[in-house]
Amino acid sequence: MSSQAPEERKRRKIRLEDLLNNNIWDVDPRPHIKLDTSKCRDCNYKPCVLLCPTGCYTTHGDDVLFSYEGCVECGTCRVVCPEEAITWEYPRSGRGIHFRFS
Amino acid sequence: MGLDIIVGIKYVPNTTNVNIDPKTGTLVREGVPSVVNPHDLVAVELALRLRDRYGGSVTAISMAPPHAVAGLEHVLGMGVDRAILVSDRVFAGADTLATSYVLAKTIEKIGRYDLIVMGQETIDSSTGHIGAQVASWLDLPYVYYAIDVEYTGDGFIVTRELEDRVERYRLAKPALISAKMYSLEPRQVTLRDKLRAVIERPIETWSNKDLGLDPNCVGLRGSPTIVSKVEFTPKVPRKNIIFEGDLREAVRKLVQALVEEGVI
Amino acid sequence: MGDRFDVIVIGAGPAGSSAAYNLAKKGFRVALIERGRKPGSKNMFGGRVYAKPLEEAFDGLGKAPIHRWVVKERLSIVNKEEYVTVEYTGRGRKSFTTYLTDLTDWMAGRAVDAGATLITEVVVDRLLMRDGRVAGIVSGDDELEADVVVDAEGVNRLVLERSGLVERLTLRHVALGVKEVIKVDKGDIEKFFGLGEDEGLAWVFMGSVSDGLPGGGFFYTNRDSLSLGLVIYLEGAVQGMRRHIYDMVEELRIGPLFSRYVENGRIMEYSAHMIPADPRAIRPPRLVWDGLIVTGDAAGLLINMGYTYRGVDTAAYSGMLAAKAIEEADGDYSASRLKRYEEMLRNSYVGRDLEKFRGVHDLYMNPRLFNEYPALLTGLLRRLYEFDYEGYKFSKAFSEARRGLVSLPRIFLDLLEVYRKL
Ligand SMILES: Cc1cc2nc3c(=O)[nH]c(=O)nc-3n(C[C@H](O)[C@H](O)[C@H](O)COP(=O)(O)OP(=O)(O)OC[C@H]3O[C@@H](n4cnc5c(N)ncnc54)[C@H](O)[C@@H]3O)c2cc1C
Ligand SMILES: Cc1cc2nc3c(=O)[nH]c(=O)nc-3n(C[C@H](O)[C@H](O)[C@H](O)COP(=O)(O)OP(=O)(O)OC[C@H]3O[C@@H](n4cnc5c(N)ncnc54)[C@H](O)[C@@H]3O)c2cc1C
Ligand code: SF4
Ligand code: SF4
Repeated sequence: MSSQAPEERKRRKIRLEDLLNNNIWDVDPRPHIKLDTSKCRDCNYKPCVLLCPTGCYTTHGDDVLFSYEGCVECGTCRVVCPEEAITWEYPRSGRGIHFRFS
Repeated sequence: MGLDIIVGIKYVPNTTNVNIDPKTGTLVREGVPSVVNPHDLVAVELALRLRDRYGGSVTAISMAPPHAVAGLEHVLGMGVDRAILVSDRVFAGADTLATSYVLAKTIEKIGRYDLIVMGQETIDSSTGHIGAQVASWLDLPYVYYAIDVEYTGDGFIVTRELEDRVERYRLAKPALISAKMYSLEPRQVTLRDKLRAVIERPIETWSNKDLGLDPNCVGLRGSPTIVSKVEFTPKVPRKNIIFEGDLREAVRKLVQALVEEGVI
Repeated sequence: MGDRFDVIVIGAGPAGSSAAYNLAKKGFRVALIERGRKPGSKNMFGGRVYAKPLEEAFDGLGKAPIHRWVVKERLSIVNKEEYVTVEYTGRGRKSFTTYLTDLTDWMAGRAVDAGATLITEVVVDRLLMRDGRVAGIVSGDDELEADVVVDAEGVNRLVLERSGLVERLTLRHVALGVKEVIKVDKGDIEKFFGLGEDEGLAWVFMGSVSDGLPGGGFFYTNRDSLSLGLVIYLEGAVQGMRRHIYDMVEELRIGPLFSRYVENGRIMEYSAHMIPADPRAIRPPRLVWDGLIVTGDAAGLLINMGYTYRGVDTAAYSGMLAAKAIEEADGDYSASRLKRYEEMLRNSYVGRDLEKFRGVHDLYMNPRLFNEYPALLTGLLRRLYEFDYEGYKFSKAFSEARRGLVSLPRIFLDLLEVYRKL
């Protein structure tokens, strides 16, 4: 929450982090997606970064950092990755994202 | 020989992302699904490992409204043998004293047990009282923060882990322990066990008809605790500053910023 | 394991729930396996479902979670701050808005009520193959056998991939859909859009919203919330993305089209899912094998009509046809026997509409649809409507609006293409 006037705040983007805070996950302690980051250095467009809707992939210089906790299991990164750097499984035991209003 | 183990399970709202309505300032509870208290899954894991090691059985018990069967199905899917849902309107509104009383009476009625395993605490109330209270109702030896148990036939050697040391206790059976949170990774639900849970449905529901407890000792009436007020701590806005430059430079800026903020 | 089922259905989505319902109803022993904690918890869509096929697949809609019956349709062509909208109001009541999470839960509930065994929280890893035919499924170290398996795992069809029956998904196969569900006042919805109590609006838009990439947006009115989202075809997106997909959706929400409807709202959920894209690419070479039928999104049975997606009703319908084919096969679940399914599908509205709208995907891949044409259209209307003293003649407005954007022969060729494909 900021000290902005409400009118102004309404027209402002909500940070991705805050947007995601509306979702419910039961995060599996074991990552369901594994990334071989060594392959990312040679990846030209790094499409996962702009296309992962929940921002699980971020760049840090030439490196790509990955965190699986906010994943909504859409599968996009698996499809767009040209380097086969991603090992992609569904979370088990009903864990992961729990959609309620979609 | 074999070990008969009882595990306590609480079915709690999954509030990992606590979302506060900006208009009303209250918790958004709409459609929040429940999960088995994550720390209880550690208790289940410990119990299952002991059963796998020594033989015997694991029974899960939960005092909760009827929708908690889904949580019991989840732990049955992990391999728990049998589950008892303790559910009755008169149990509603219980504080820890009334809760532990019902649980203790449930365990008494089950009768045959060598070990009771609880979670360290819950994510929705986190008093950590239940273990100790059930132990006193049943007059059992109690060790918390347990990470491992060795069965000696007439009792247990329980290893508990504190911040600075590891301790070992020798307990006579039956005994109660609570499993240290995060100490074990709970196993996954398997097709085989879930199928058994769904088809054989080894879940019993006990009401106060089965337990026959004095209504004045359970539920809201049996709860001496009065919650006078609940306040939410304000969400502290984060600054999200990214410090550029090489490592040395970035750390210098970070330290400077922390000093300016009065953090260090 | 001692338990044996006649049929295993993989995935309790619309396709799987419908297959399980229609089989259980006929007395088959059905295991319906779903990876989610409960049916619906992994499902997401845009927002509108066509009722008739669903009614047929589930013998009525009973207590289905229907939010609003769509009576108003809007289509907007957007060029940055400007947009052109067509609105159609009819007697409607052919389609309704809802949350797929709830609708799926209802569908799976129908299957359970009919006698299917629902097994949640279990991921199917691959098919169990025996003597070259499908004999059941494998999950972790466990196997479960059945006479026949219905694959209804949806678009991200890892089971079929891992069993070697389809190729790995590629950029051509899928699009990405992202949506925000925003809680607003029920009365406001009705006031804003001139709707009755159970009446709804479906609104799709395209143009600059997708940054010139093939794709488009959608907006649906639910009971007391709005669903707003964007679809981007992955084929163009790998190199063409200019900003994060989240930014695109958020800028839509606060942009000129929608900000006034959502500004008092509260976000309820942010979700994403893939959608079958080019139907010719994603459709497996065959939909039946010995002991296996493939339904719904996994079979690529989504119809993109250009102005609306239909995947829920077609999935449910295909599940029903799979059940019929299994019943008719009378215990012989060889591919040649199950082929009846492909035939019934082809002769149903699903097959016919897939055929009818098969070319839409190619039209979508024309980048001018998202850049030049929206600019031309808004440019033309700007000249026609916004003047201080003297107005434009249509022909002059048109040629001016077109200048530098697209040549006349190009327009002619594109129109010809539209005519040929539709
Ligand atoms: C006045 C008052 C009124 C309350 N009213 C309500 C109410 O209406 N509804 C409500 O849900 N809560 C209510 N509570 C909270 C409730 O009393 C506690 O949640 C409950 O007693 C358990 O305490 P805890 O969660 O802190 O468990 P902890 O002591 O932190 O839990 C330790 C372990 O005990 C076991 N355990 C805990 N609870 C159960 C259980 N129910 N079944 C089986 N095993 C269990 C688990 O293994 C757990 O890990 C109320 C509390 C008070 C003080
Ligand atoms: C953004 C977007 C907007 C859309 N808009 C509309 C619309 O407005 N109207 C419309 O009619 N359609 C729309 N669709 C399409 C529609 O959602 C799908 O076509 C439909 O859901 C397909 O149903 P299905 O049962 O085949 O697959 P799904 O709905 O994907 O269901 C598959 C089920 O299988 C489960 N599963 C998957 N793999 C496994 C496994 N290995 N083990 C166990 N379980 C598994 C999943 O958890 C899921 O429950 C839209 C789709 C998207 C993404
Ligand atoms: S697309 Fe693949 S290789 Fe490229 S950056 Fe992303 S994960 Fe790495
Ligand atoms: S599956 Fe989707 S949400 Fe999850 S990391 Fe990949 S792109 Fe992101």
